Amino acid sequence: MTISKGQHATIFTLKGRLDSNTAPQFEKQLQDFLVSPNSHLVFDFDNLEYISSAGLRVILNTAKAYSSGPYHFAACAMQEHVQEVFEISGFDSFITIHRSVDESLSALDKDQESKSEA
Amino acid sequence: MDVSFQIMNDLSELNTLRVQLQALRSVWLLTPKTVAEINLVLEEIVSNIIEHGDRTKKHPIHITLKKEGLELTMVVIDEGPSFDPTICAPPDTTLPLKKRQSGGLGIHLVRALCQCCSYTRANDSNILTMKRTLPEECR
Repeated sequence: MTISKGQHATIFTLKGRLDSNTAPQFEKQLQDFLVSPNSHLVFDFDNLEYISSAGLRVILNTAKAYSSGPYHFAACAMQEHVQEVFEISGFDSFITIHRSVDESLSALDKDQESKSEA
Repeated sequence: MDVSFQIMNDLSELNTLRVQLQALRSVWLLTPKTVAEINLVLEEIVSNIIEHGDRTKKHPIHITLKKEGLELTMVVIDEGPSFDPTICAPPDTTLPLKKRQSGGLGIHLVRALCQCCSYTRANDSNILTMKRTLPEECR
């Protein structure tokens, strides 16, 4: 997994498999971002080929951590299997899934603009 | 056609599971999505067995896969403590984010991806049988 910083958002690029073996490590890497969010967060799923409930648990905790503060969490570019797992679990009802990183970033920018206007 | 293999009650064995299923892919003409779904079902069951059992006592988990036409039968047998995943209460996946919890999601995924799950306890073993109809392209 790689972490990069955009103008308003931090982007996590997920790779390979998010399962019972890899989820704990992923959660550790995320810890600082969950405890004190300081920008929007985007998960780029393009290179993630597999997710199980252990991975979903980390995603749920992430969505919860970003649900109340000023920063938002978005997900994008899911492969068919990963999207199916999200839908079966009902996660698509509270996580916005965009088609690409660019789409996520422009959606978050729009949020940012509407907030600064308000 | 039957395929059987055995793994131990250790999370690192999920890699063995993945490799075994990848090997079946070309033999049974499975699509990548089908392999991922079968992998998911078996991972959820195996990780439940490991988490509910005594991790200090090593015991094997036997997995048998049988493909007849488009019907796939998966049988998982382990000698851990009695545990029937089929009676776990399903999570409410329509709850708003604030009320959602991650517990029970694994079994929920198994139920969604299998048409039939049945459990018996025999010879001090848990025997879980799951059936799934494969898509036409796996014929």
